[in-house]
Amino acid sequence: MAPLKSMEKEYPLIDSHFQSFCASHAIFSLEDFLLYDLHSLIASADNHSSSITFKQGIDQLLSVIDTQLPPLMNGLQLLEDAECNKRLLPTGFKGIDALLGGGLRAGQLTELVGPSSSGKTQACLTSASTVAKNGGSVIYFDTGNSFSPQHIAHLVGQTSGYVIGNQAEPGPLQKVMERIICYSVFDIYQMFDVLQQLKINLKSKIVEPDRRVQLLIVDSISSLITPILGGSGPQGHALMISAGYLLKKLADEHNIAVLVTNHMVAGEGGTSKPALGESWKSVPHIRLLLSREYGSNVCNVSTLKHPSVASDRAAKCVLCICDC
Amino acid sequence: MNKKEDNEKGGVKGWIDGDETAHYTLRRISALRSTLLVPPLHRVPLRLGNVIEIFGPSPSAKTQILIQVAINCVLPKEWNGVRYGGFDHSVLFLDLDCRFDISRLSQMLTHRIMEGNAIGDCDKTLYDLCMQRFLYARCSNSFEFLQTLKSLHYRLKREKDHGVSVQLLLIDSIGAFHWVDRASMFLSLKEHNRKKLFLQSVSEAVVQDIKKLLQVHPMLVIATKSVIFGNTYSTASEEVNGCSRNVTRSPQHTQYREYMPSVWQSFVTHRILLRRSDDQPVISNSENSSWYVLEWLLPRIGLPDKIIVKDNGVFVDS
Repeated sequence: MAPLKSMEKEYPLIDSHFQSFCASHAIFSLEDFLLYDLHSLIASADNHSSSITFKQGIDQLLSVIDTQLPPLMNGLQLLEDAECNKRLLPTGFKGIDALLGGGLRAGQLTELVGPSSSGKTQACLTSASTVAKNGGSVIYFDTGNSFSPQHIAHLVGQTSGYVIGNQAEPGPLQKVMERIICYSVFDIYQMFDVLQQLKINLKSKIVEPDRRVQLLIVDSISSLITPILGGSGPQGHALMISAGYLLKKLADEHNIAVLVTNHMVAGEGGTSKPALGESWKSVPHIRLLLSREYGSNVCNVSTLKHPSVASDRAAKCVLCICDC
Repeated sequence: MNKKEDNEKGGVKGWIDGDETAHYTLRRISALRSTLLVPPLHRVPLRLGNVIEIFGPSPSAKTQILIQVAINCVLPKEWNGVRYGGFDHSVLFLDLDCRFDISRLSQMLTHRIMEGNAIGDCDKTLYDLCMQRFLYARCSNSFEFLQTLKSLHYRLKREKDHGVSVQLLLIDSIGAFHWVDRASMFLSLKEHNRKKLFLQSVSEAVVQDIKKLLQVHPMLVIATKSVIFGNTYSTASEEVNGCSRNVTRSPQHTQYREYMPSVWQSFVTHRILLRRSDDQPVISNSENSSWYVLEWLLPRIGLPDKIIVKDNGVFVDS
């Protein structure tokens, strides 16, 4: 937030006299003003000779704060926004679509938790291929080199009969593959960098409706966060929570569905529990648990947390075995 | 002389007699600040100006209870001959977790209106009226939260001028920025003029702002708080005592570590613990319901309530 000095040009009431009055209370920026007790500041302004100008300066700061905030929305406006902008995106992964009543919802952060090789990456690749086929752009953060273009081509080809055309003119499969942008990120700071760049790009560019980013996948977010979570300081947890807020803000402002995956760790009594601890539990909107019996290709999906579906509701689906 | 004595006698007698009787005082105060019974928290009568903290490990039905309380508040007492028993006031929901799902509120409200209606369909005017009474703001860091609180006085005043008064302030959840604020401590220590820890300053500012707001707009404040630290303590002590004694694992004595600063803890007037029910009855896959246990910790009521969350709302199972 801006220091008070920089606001002088735009708001002449915040002149140097007012700034030195604020400085006497250790208020140098808008943040300091927010932390300070307003009534004691007004009372102290009363004791000065130029109390009226000081109070006008305080009112000016309060109106600046008010204008920076979005207005209060009511229930009808929220519902309208949800119906127009926050659509359901089918993933093509039948277990998830069955549980979520159609697919991933734009504006929400969905987490897939499961032990290794339970189908999480499969679910991510299937979602990416389905959304790209239906015309939206997909951004895929790959943290473990598990992104397989061949598998996506196989999935797309399977359901719609596209084949790889010749090099001269891009066939429909090429167009679908072009909509999926894959970034290899190996630590959380890299992910923050790419997300900030994405935020700037989305704000400035006006994209045609058929190239709009609809899905953002992070596979897996736990491998980015687990290395920083240890230690006695709060920085690791703070980074994790900030990453969650950044993803949710992107999802809400630009109507993107965010899908992240998480792995399992040992819990009490020999059972497994999702990684990333208690604080992470309040970050995703929806949490789904995936599991697979050894040797079978049937994947069980159940809800861990959902705003309107009860916990432990389950659905099954068959994983696609691919030789690529 | 006599008159002076009489005056003195009148003065002393008047002082002994007092200004008003207890009966009259009670009648006067209950007219100003009447008690509310807010289902599903109706075990304890509440009053405007109370601050209730609902905490529990995720997933417990904390946000569901907030939505149920909001619906009870926005519904009118009576509409078209049907008694809904609501408080007929507006609700302000501050979403600090940024996780609120409006479709769940809409679903519960529709069910409630349809239940009351004899024909069974949803009255559109009543639905629109109730949805318009639900005000929403979202914050993604402590500064936005403080900005919202500071500008809330003027915004609520504007709403009041339109004839809409807010009686309920819901905050979900109050500990959302705890880790981020604690980490900011290390940034602010560099500067010498910051005497207090950042987390402490933020919490004090928040409590001050809410207190000042409550003086001008009396409201009932309900805040949810999630559990940040897991129960590593309880399992460790069990292993130690397992051999010598029979340690019965009683779930009601599970201690959750308190992490909010003391300024917030002393601001809270009522406390509720919510957790999943250990013994879930056999639920068929077609029925969409979950069971939770609600326990009042402040004031301490020994009997926990069983709460069921269904499609049409949150109810206390008696």
